[in-house]
Amino acid sequence: MLRQTPRRMSSPATAAGPVVAPLSRDSELAAEVKALVLAGKRDAARERFGELVALLQRRAARIAYQYLRDLHDADEAVQDAFVKVFTHITTYREELPFEVWFTRILVNRCLDLQKARSRRLRWSVPAPAIGQAPPLEPAAPQQTPEERLLSSEQGQRILAAVDQLPERQRLVFTLCQISEQSTNEVSQTLGVSEATVRVHLFRAVRKLRGLLAAER
Amino acid sequence: MHRSHLSDDRLVDVCLDKAGYPAERNHLDTCPECAERSAHLSRMLADIAAVTVAEADAAFSVDRLAKQRARILQRLEQEGRAGRVITFPGNLTQRPSLRARPGMRWVAGAAAAGLLIGVFAGHLAHVVVPNQWSGSPTQVTIQPAGTTLHAVSTTLSEEEFLGMLEVAIEGTSGASLRPLDDLTPLAWEVAAQ
Repeated sequence: MLRQTPRRMSSPATAAGPVVAPLSRDSELAAEVKALVLAGKRDAARERFGELVALLQRRAARIAYQYLRDLHDADEAVQDAFVKVFTHITTYREELPFEVWFTRILVNRCLDLQKARSRRLRWSVPAPAIGQAPPLEPAAPQQTPEERLLSSEQGQRILAAVDQLPERQRLVFTLCQISEQSTNEVSQTLGVSEATVRVHLFRAVRKLRGLLAAER
Repeated sequence: MHRSHLSDDRLVDVCLDKAGYPAERNHLDTCPECAERSAHLSRMLADIAAVTVAEADAAFSVDRLAKQRARILQRLEQEGRAGRVITFPGNLTQRPSLRARPGMRWVAGAAAAGLLIGVFAGHLAHVVVPNQWSGSPTQVTIQPAGTTLHAVSTTLSEEEFLGMLEVAIEGTSGASLRPLDDLTPLAWEVAAQ
């Protein structure tokens, strides 16, 4: 199963008053971690934070990898984002979705790493491996479904088309279509208007459509 | 009866916004051709999502994610600890003082005098030697007009240093160097050749 399950839980309507959407699991955990840190129970907070990491880690890795296109940079970005979240957890506001806050920190870290990388590429000779496809795990005798999909002709064409998207469009497309965030959540994450997100998304889809249709 | 189909751009809008565009959705319900185009676009988006997610998942295996999680928790554990302070320079109290050993004063004085003589001799050598080479036709002195050099701390990190280089080149003061920069091949381009 490649796609994630929806993050927002549907809330049952009650006769008592306005329906308040319950917190998602990640927001609940973040609130617990914050309370533990404020109570001075750092060991317990770290333990709970481990659960939060396990919950969001896969999604974070997908976003960082799509944005940075480098395994080691993506790994570093995800680690740094989680560490930063824990060290600043007391500033987290529980009324906001934790995922939006976290994604914003992750995207900012990705941007920093990308800037640092472009500076390095300008002034230094890259290692031969840079610029090539990232190394996958040692080849198993049986290919996983993901590997089969990637090695297919259609998979290669799609990856090549996504690589041709401008940076901003790729980020918006990744957050909306791959990470399944709404345009409203993406606008909060990136600090731009929802209309801007829609424009980037529209252009990304139109460009992908053109690229994939042209290659047929 | 003429029946207009949805434009490609409108079709993308409808596919991306699951809740909006009621009129266009009604059209899709009654127009098989547009419905087929819409289904094709939705399939394309689903395929792209599946392939890009598979790419990231293949790169981040379960083992790698487990190691990453362990590393994050390890970093968090170290986060709360106070740094270990190392005394520098060593145990000062056990070092023999000059007062305790008067003979050492002469040694220290001789070393200081030797150092001064060395500096003076070096200075003299710099003054005398260039006069012998003053007629050399290959000697070129570059004195950029209007340029002030600032002392730079030697404790800059690589990132800071590269950042300062970027700023210097992007700034207006570096505009005259831009043509030279354009002519100069980048290190990675040379390596590629």
